Amino acid sequence: MTTCTSCSLQVEGEWEHCPLCGGALHGRAAPSPYPAVPLRFSRRRVLRVLMLSSLGVIVLSFLAQLLFRHDAESLGALRSVWLGIVATWLVVLMAVSKRRNLAKFIVYLVVAAGGVSVYWDFLTQWSGWSLTYVFPILCSASIFGLLITVRLIRMELADYVVYSGLTVLLGLTPIVFLSLGWVGVALPSVICGALSIAVVVLLLTLRGGAVRHELATRLHL
Amino acid sequence: MKRRHWVRLDNVSNIFPAARSDVDPKVFRLGAELDHEVDPSLLQDALEETFERFPLYHAVLRRGVFWHYLQDSELQPEVMAETEQVCAPLYQADRRTLLFRVVHHRRRVSLEVFHALSDGTGALWFLTDLLTAYTRRRFPGEAPAGREVAEQVRPGASERPDPPPAQIGTHPGAQAAEEVHELTTDSFAHYFRGRRRRRAPSSHEEDFTREAAPAVLTVEEADPPEDVPAAEQDEVPPAPRPPRRRTHRVRGTRTPDNRTRALELSMPAAPVLGLAKAEGVALTMYLTALFFEAIRRTDEGALACSTMAASVPVNLRQFFPSTSARNFFATIRVEHTFGEGDDSPGAVARGLQEAFSAEATPEALERRLHRLIRVERWPLARIVPRPVKDAMLSMINHVNNRSLTVAISNLGRVTLPAPAQSHVGRMQFHVSAVRPQFCAISHDGQLTIGFTSPFVETAHVREYARLLTAAGVEVSLAASRTTEEELAGVDA
Repeated sequence: MTTCTSCSLQVEGEWEHCPLCGGALHGRAAPSPYPAVPLRFSRRRVLRVLMLSSLGVIVLSFLAQLLFRHDAESLGALRSVWLGIVATWLVVLMAVSKRRNLAKFIVYLVVAAGGVSVYWDFLTQWSGWSLTYVFPILCSASIFGLLITVRLIRMELADYVVYSGLTVLLGLTPIVFLSLGWVGVALPSVICGALSIAVVVLLLTLRGGAVRHELATRLHL
Repeated sequence: MKRRHWVRLDNVSNIFPAARSDVDPKVFRLGAELDHEVDPSLLQDALEETFERFPLYHAVLRRGVFWHYLQDSELQPEVMAETEQVCAPLYQADRRTLLFRVVHHRRRVSLEVFHALSDGTGALWFLTDLLTAYTRRRFPGEAPAGREVAEQVRPGASERPDPPPAQIGTHPGAQAAEEVHELTTDSFAHYFRGRRRRRAPSSHEEDFTREAAPAVLTVEEADPPEDVPAAEQDEVPPAPRPPRRRTHRVRGTRTPDNRTRALELSMPAAPVLGLAKAEGVALTMYLTALFFEAIRRTDEGALACSTMAASVPVNLRQFFPSTSARNFFATIRVEHTFGEGDDSPGAVARGLQEAFSAEATPEALERRLHRLIRVERWPLARIVPRPVKDAMLSMINHVNNRSLTVAISNLGRVTLPAPAQSHVGRMQFHVSAVRPQFCAISHDGQLTIGFTSPFVETAHVREYARLLTAAGVEVSLAASRTTEEELAGVDA
């Protein structure tokens, strides 16, 4: 072990200078009990900044739409391109941040894409296309998507049961819109609703116990 | 279909995921230095054996709507060569990983634990068993008879005997479970009343649920708070709080990649104990007083009349028999204002000791314990959604931090069962920290003080070492390389 005379203590490890006072060390160095761990600069922090600034740009883009009039002449195709890019960006961000749980991502995707299409519809003189077509089709597709995903990546039931429940609940909302008369053509909503009910029934009959256990775990007071 | 068992995180432990940050990942490390280079494959075998007997350590931390919860998992731990910094982050939200790791480097074995899982005493049980299992394999000739091992006592919880070693029974897990079960059945049934599963779970699952229960709720004779006689409360009126002065806080330069700055001073324990005894105080308070003095000498910001405060954790198992390895401690805040009288380390230590002793009585701690249980059962605390709870806890933690200069922790003198005792030399104890902190542990007549800090500055450790060497104690220093200059030209 080396010795630092100014601190009058012994130092373990191959240090050239005393780690405390920076003074010279005398004697033969002994191996350090600690490994030298190279500095790691946090990629996570860079990603977090990118993520937050992206979210900022997306929110501002959506808000900026309100500055323009709602008719087609004011922005026209430009609005579609703008909103299209921003919506895609939003989906990519969600996919990255929820990459560890695809079932959760699907729920987020339905909510975000549904919300964007409703807003888009509102910006272009509300004609109801979002609730009539986009939302029911999105929900039905997400149910199929979830079924395929959990098979493909062999997800454990406990991990997707809550999110498949949420997806199915979302799938039931077109029925509500239909009953409120917000929907022009009934067929997409009816198909989506029927599909959701079928999946709920299947889920509860085949996996009822697991669903209850998982809900009790997560909602425990 | 496997239903995983789970237990919600108690309020004390909830602070750790909530207050976790890049700087302070809320991880602590317990280490032991052996008398030979560690054999990784034997250590792995020992880890597997120990892991079987500690169902709590199977847990992963997950987020519910209202609470974090510990969920049983089938992950298997692996020993690794030490390639990360001391107290590297363990828990990451959304990633299901075990909440501890075992690493080795040359002659050292270190156990790092995420603080939400267990406290120092609980982790020491695990490390003790790990070292015993390892040394039994490494030195088979020295292994004592099974009975002898079974009679060993867990440090810090004299009520709980060690589970018998694996070799005795055919099913080590079942053996250990039987041992422990008898001791805790009542308190646990009390907590889990009405929430029993219809189907009897297998023994491991039962073990998990029992071992993972919040420690406050496993205390055997913990009366409900309303049972405290009113008269008793009148007898001890809460001391009027002195107006709280601004507490001095240490500032510094953050380490380049937010790693914990870890240094350790090792010394023979006897002379330091002698110094403390000569001043008529306990070792912990003497070391704390030295820490205040070291900071006062180095910190220009610490003016002559500033107040310094330290938080000192107390192991509640000493007072309330509990076999839980979960977090079970209370922290006591002690402070000293400089410039109002005798500021010599001895006098400061006596002042701290007096304040500490007043708080660390069974009665005072029982009041704290009741408060903890009350908070645990408080309906409003239950229905607040977890993100809000986390934000609140993080705020409380932040406010608490503002009133502390340093934090300290002393695990005391550790005695390991044979054959570990004779092959383990110094032990180490480090805690990731948002402020300068020291942790003491002693074994085999060697006292090791582990200093951690989020800052690169080491001046306070230098002064600390000089205070000790000036008193005639032989001190040696080991440090992990932290800054760019220190790491330059060193092979990783």
